[in-house]
Amino acid sequence: MAGLSIENVTKRFGETEVLKGVSLDIADGEFVSLVGPSGCGKSTLLRIIAGLEDQSSGDICIGGQSVAGQRAADRNLSMVFQSYALYPHLSVGENIAVPLRMRRLNSLQRLPLVGRLLPGARAQSRDIGQQVAQAAEMLEIAHLLDRKPGQLSGGQRQRVALGRALVREPAAFLLDEPLSNLDAKLRVQTRAEIAELHRRLAATFVYVTHDQVEAMTMSDRIAVMMGGRILQCAPPDVVYDDPDRIEVAEFIGSPKINILPVEIAEDGRLILMDRPLDLMLHRGGKGIASLGLRPEALRLAGPEAPIHGHVMHRENLGSELFVQIALTGLDQRLTLRVGPEQRGALALGSAVSLDFDRDKALLFDSAGARLRQVVQTASAPSEVA
Amino acid sequence: MTRDWWKHLILILGVIIVIAPFYMMVSYSFKSPGEIDRGEGGFFGRQELMVDEHCVKLRDPSRDEIAAAAPRFPGQSDRDIRDQIMAEAEADCAMRPVVFNYTKAFTEAPLLRYLLNGVLVTASIFLLQVVVALPAAYALAKLRFWGREAVFGLVLFCLLIPVHAIALPLYILLAKIGLTNTYAALVVPWSISVFGIFLMRQFFMTVPDDLIDAARMDGMGEFAIVWRVMLPTAIPALLAFAIFSVVAHWNDYFWPRIVVTGNRDLFTPPLGLREFKGGGDGSDFGPMMATATVIVTPLIVAFLLAQKRFIEGITLNGMK
Repeated sequence: MAGLSIENVTKRFGETEVLKGVSLDIADGEFVSLVGPSGCGKSTLLRIIAGLEDQSSGDICIGGQSVAGQRAADRNLSMVFQSYALYPHLSVGENIAVPLRMRRLNSLQRLPLVGRLLPGARAQSRDIGQQVAQAAEMLEIAHLLDRKPGQLSGGQRQRVALGRALVREPAAFLLDEPLSNLDAKLRVQTRAEIAELHRRLAATFVYVTHDQVEAMTMSDRIAVMMGGRILQCAPPDVVYDDPDRIEVAEFIGSPKINILPVEIAEDGRLILMDRPLDLMLHRGGKGIASLGLRPEALRLAGPEAPIHGHVMHRENLGSELFVQIALTGLDQRLTLRVGPEQRGALALGSAVSLDFDRDKALLFDSAGARLRQVVQTASAPSEVA
Repeated sequence: MTRDWWKHLILILGVIIVIAPFYMMVSYSFKSPGEIDRGEGGFFGRQELMVDEHCVKLRDPSRDEIAAAAPRFPGQSDRDIRDQIMAEAEADCAMRPVVFNYTKAFTEAPLLRYLLNGVLVTASIFLLQVVVALPAAYALAKLRFWGREAVFGLVLFCLLIPVHAIALPLYILLAKIGLTNTYAALVVPWSISVFGIFLMRQFFMTVPDDLIDAARMDGMGEFAIVWRVMLPTAIPALLAFAIFSVVAHWNDYFWPRIVVTGNRDLFTPPLGLREFKGGGDGSDFGPMMATATVIVTPLIVAFLLAQKRFIEGITLNGMK
């Protein structure tokens, strides 16, 4: 077990720069997710950590030691692939045993038939067999050890791939979208199992995914990547409640955050659709900005509320209801989350007024950076000054 | 069926054209020389007893032998004794044509030795080809290195060079190193098969990269990946290549004929056929066809056994 640190890593494929100086420290035993849209460089970063790809510049340290120039095989990391990448010609047991056999037995001992007769090989093989059985036990695949990967379901293959990764107690586990080939139900179940496995092994996990739900539910910290950079790396609730940039706010959270254009008046007061709000930006100066409102920050309110529109579409999930509202005076829709008790008030086409929790409103400047110096004023004046 | 009759007709015609020589070969190997000459006797011939003139001639007794045999035929003249010995010989040398052809095939020339040579040569060629082609194909399919496309271009180019064009320089080369009339001369020039490299490369392209990365993470070096991961997944393609390679070199007449000059111990089966090439008294078609039948049988049996895998290999789908 060991921590990882990534120091200013860049990667160029020909002309295109895939990673533009990524730095990240991962503590021993931490579960960090790299999350971002496809093409953001997260898989490339994982492959660079693994040693499957060389960085153009920068350094990777595992347990404080630089691994520059080390082969993937010598880095003592294990990896779970999206396609599971099991050896099709080997049984499940043999698949799980491969990393141990490659490391513990020398090349003569690995020879078929003859190898078993060499001194030490028998004891080693017994040892390996025991560890394979243990790993299989932990993942509840002990009854599958003699099958070939071709005879297994997706979920079972996924467990075998996990077994092959954890059988040899590596410095860290690298997981490259391991759940994306599973069906939705199995994905939810396996998500919990992987998180549990992480707690039980207390090992370092680096988990790559494009699914922000996976990242939110499993990780200690989430590193949101976009365009070859890490935009923010923080615990899930911080990334959700207190994003540094508008891209992060938009990527994390489902349904997506509502972004409304606001004006900043000379004195720093925010103006939404020509209505002044009771929010002030400390630093004054005219300009435009974006107001981010999560669906749960919005609530139904009386006609004096700042936002008006009518119901366009409803998605009833049983425990909650998501309502899309077309705004009056703005070619945009908002998503509102309400509890089931308010279902009746929201018939299709009905007019609604919305207010929002001031402390949950997120303000971003025109370049997308977060503006944090927002304070609530006593009350909104009736007229624009 | 009714609409497709013409397809079947064409296929049947094709089959007849392909099968006809085999039919003749097998049929001739059953028949007596007379039946072959006259073109009668159907497929199996009449299988009447025939006398092997050569066998009889060999037993024509000399004067000493007649003298030695005299006690067995008391009171008879030498001429009578000779006639009786000859009659015995004719009785002993009479046999069914099929027996005659096949015994002759194995006794006239050391056919077993030739078959063994054939097995040795084709097996060594195939093994060497695999040893060279698998790592080469792996590198061309999965490793990134400077000039890879150029190297692959060269491989394709080499596919276009006919063997006969380079036979003479090759022969001279082997002769200069003093390798003519050795097994090496039969094997070494074929140890690199560009077709094998090409075929395996195309197959390896279909193997997912993740599998190779997984093997690297599991601690395998590149050569371990070739032999422990790529080889087992490539068995169907390898079988297809094996058929191409073995058939080509088992049946090859041209190259052994060039580099094996005189030493009959090195003859491969097709060279063995030459032993029955007609001398002064015409060709021994029966035994010759019997030899040919014996030579092609192993290939046909091997193909029938591997037929399913062979077709899998040709369609080239590695991982499903």
